[in-house]
Amino acid sequence: MKIKNIASALALSSVMLSSVAVADTVKIGVQAPITGKYANEGQSIDNFVRLIVDEKNAQGGLLGKQIEVVTCDDEAKAQKAAVCAKKLVNAGVFAVIGSYTSGATEAAQSTYFRNKVLQTSDGTSDSLIKRKYWTFFRNSFPNAAQSDFTAEYMVNVKKYKKIVVLSDYSSYSAGLGDATEASVKAINGNILFRGKIKSGVQNFTSTLTKIKAMKPDVIYYSGYYTDGGLLRAQQIQLQIDADFVGGDSNDNPDFYKLAGKSAAGTVLINFPTPEILPYPEAKKYLSAYKKRFNMSPPSIWPVTNADGLRAIIEGVEKTKSFDTKKIASYIRTMKDFPGITGPFNVREDGERVGAKFVVYKMKNDGTKEVVK
Amino acid sequence: METFIQQLINGLTVGSLYALVALGYTMVYGVMKLINFAHGDLVAFSAYVGLTIFTQFYGSNALTLVNIVIVFSLTSIVVAFMGVLLERLAYRPLRTAPRLSAVVSALGASLVIQNGIMLIWGPNMEIFPSDIFPSTTWNFGGVLISYTQFVILALSAFLMVSLYLFINKTKIGTAIRATAIDQDAAKLMGINVNRIVMIIFIVGSMLGAIGGLFIGVYYRGLTFDMGWMYGLNAFIAAIIGGIGSIPGAMLGGLLLGLFNAMISGYISTEWAETFTFILLIIILIVRPAGLLGHNVAEKV
Repeated sequence: MKIKNIASALALSSVMLSSVAVADTVKIGVQAPITGKYANEGQSIDNFVRLIVDEKNAQGGLLGKQIEVVTCDDEAKAQKAAVCAKKLVNAGVFAVIGSYTSGATEAAQSTYFRNKVLQTSDGTSDSLIKRKYWTFFRNSFPNAAQSDFTAEYMVNVKKYKKIVVLSDYSSYSAGLGDATEASVKAINGNILFRGKIKSGVQNFTSTLTKIKAMKPDVIYYSGYYTDGGLLRAQQIQLQIDADFVGGDSNDNPDFYKLAGKSAAGTVLINFPTPEILPYPEAKKYLSAYKKRFNMSPPSIWPVTNADGLRAIIEGVEKTKSFDTKKIASYIRTMKDFPGITGPFNVREDGERVGAKFVVYKMKNDGTKEVVK
Repeated sequence: METFIQQLINGLTVGSLYALVALGYTMVYGVMKLINFAHGDLVAFSAYVGLTIFTQFYGSNALTLVNIVIVFSLTSIVVAFMGVLLERLAYRPLRTAPRLSAVVSALGASLVIQNGIMLIWGPNMEIFPSDIFPSTTWNFGGVLISYTQFVILALSAFLMVSLYLFINKTKIGTAIRATAIDQDAAKLMGINVNRIVMIIFIVGSMLGAIGGLFIGVYYRGLTFDMGWMYGLNAFIAAIIGGIGSIPGAMLGGLLLGLFNAMISGYISTEWAETFTFILLIIILIVRPAGLLGHNVAEKV
């Protein structure tokens, strides 16, 4: 009897102790591809989140609570993403940053929604906001905005007459490819061929040979840099005399390494890259990032994710609560929140609005020049 | 017509890579009746070893032919050593165990090598320099062959012919064939079966190493899990040709490459994999032992 009492007293005190410990911290999740082919993007998202969280913690935390970051590696795979979502929810996070790919983001969305956990992602697939989950908001801009810009550039600026649109099979890339095809047709451009390649197979010569016979003016590729760089290299090797225009996810230093000398002349359409962002927040955070990690983020995506996190932090502080419903509706009413990637406005359905795009051209020495 | 011939060349290039890797599967199966699932990861490992030697010793300067030969030889030796180690640690203790245990051991070895690559070289994509071979491309009436493609096709053909002669015309080759037919009888005839198995692993790993290096030089991007994809395709190639048969593995690899290229080129990439597996099933229904795997007693 006595032993039982002591045991229950111990159990009770340990419960109290742990609840005290819980009260002092608040958890934020990161769901990103920490390993696998998009690892440098995923790791950078994690780094940027930690940079901002550490800064906040040094200032006394969020509403007096220290923030703890819980990271889960989804390897950019939908199955792993679903597991990560459950893991992060069980860990007790109130918000999740990520993931990098639209596919992995979409696979986790419903779990966060059911558990009232906020989620913000750089995924640009239009399908991400289709279900209008109040828990989700996008920190980048949707494919639809990019495709209109791309079509305008190809049809009206460069006056391409024979356009080939390629994508891979992922929800992001196929979505952007389809959207671009539709945008080009909408302004009476001529789509010669709309094809898909399988990401990761490394050999795209069969598809390219087929395209070569069609004699296109331009090949537009809406997939990721790991395939885009090789596609460009094999295009040059097969001497296909056409311009190469890449969508946003081609913009990664590895694109140029994979394409080698063939990279010269490649045109990329993307949001302004980190180093040319004109905003004061950009200069501050990017130099802090460089100082701490000895490199720049590989692309704009870790930076837009950082903006998503900053919007959530702003929401917590303005609503003075961790009630995710309140934070989510506050974020949707913010006007021009000063983001690292420019003014941050979120529409009712979770869409970030006010997209800006830039056209870059690769030079022979591997540097980029802003064309438009 | 140019397009068709170009597709043939595209397919043959990839097919040669599959064939080189498939030889490793088929040789081990022929002698040990074991599917060495770790072989694909050994191929990935060789690409990483090759990259390290390239960048460590020669920087990214253009390489002379002698340097390239040195890198290829060094890599082959390192990978052959790994192959022998793999056999000693993962397969030899299980030689008399039920066959399923050896298969599980092979899958385990595959994961060990894959994660080992990730721990040594990191989870990020590693990229081969783009100027290992000259960027020359020859144009034959609209059909293009790049220098790298030519080296892949020529060296693969040379290696396959050499292997064929080695197995069929030398004393060791005869011993290998004898072991493949009946291990116990081979032992009674004074053949050192352990040594034969070691030779099989050395030769198979070296061919895989050359395949891995070509993959690195031609496609450049390396990921730690790439061995799985090349391994699976090569394994399918070995089965199409008749697992255990050396000419079968070569034929299977080339056919798989051609088939993939033609379907991707003339139908759609969406269907390439589906049709490949339909082909595999049809071949197995019509010829259960694979295209050249009919003569069971002579498997090598």
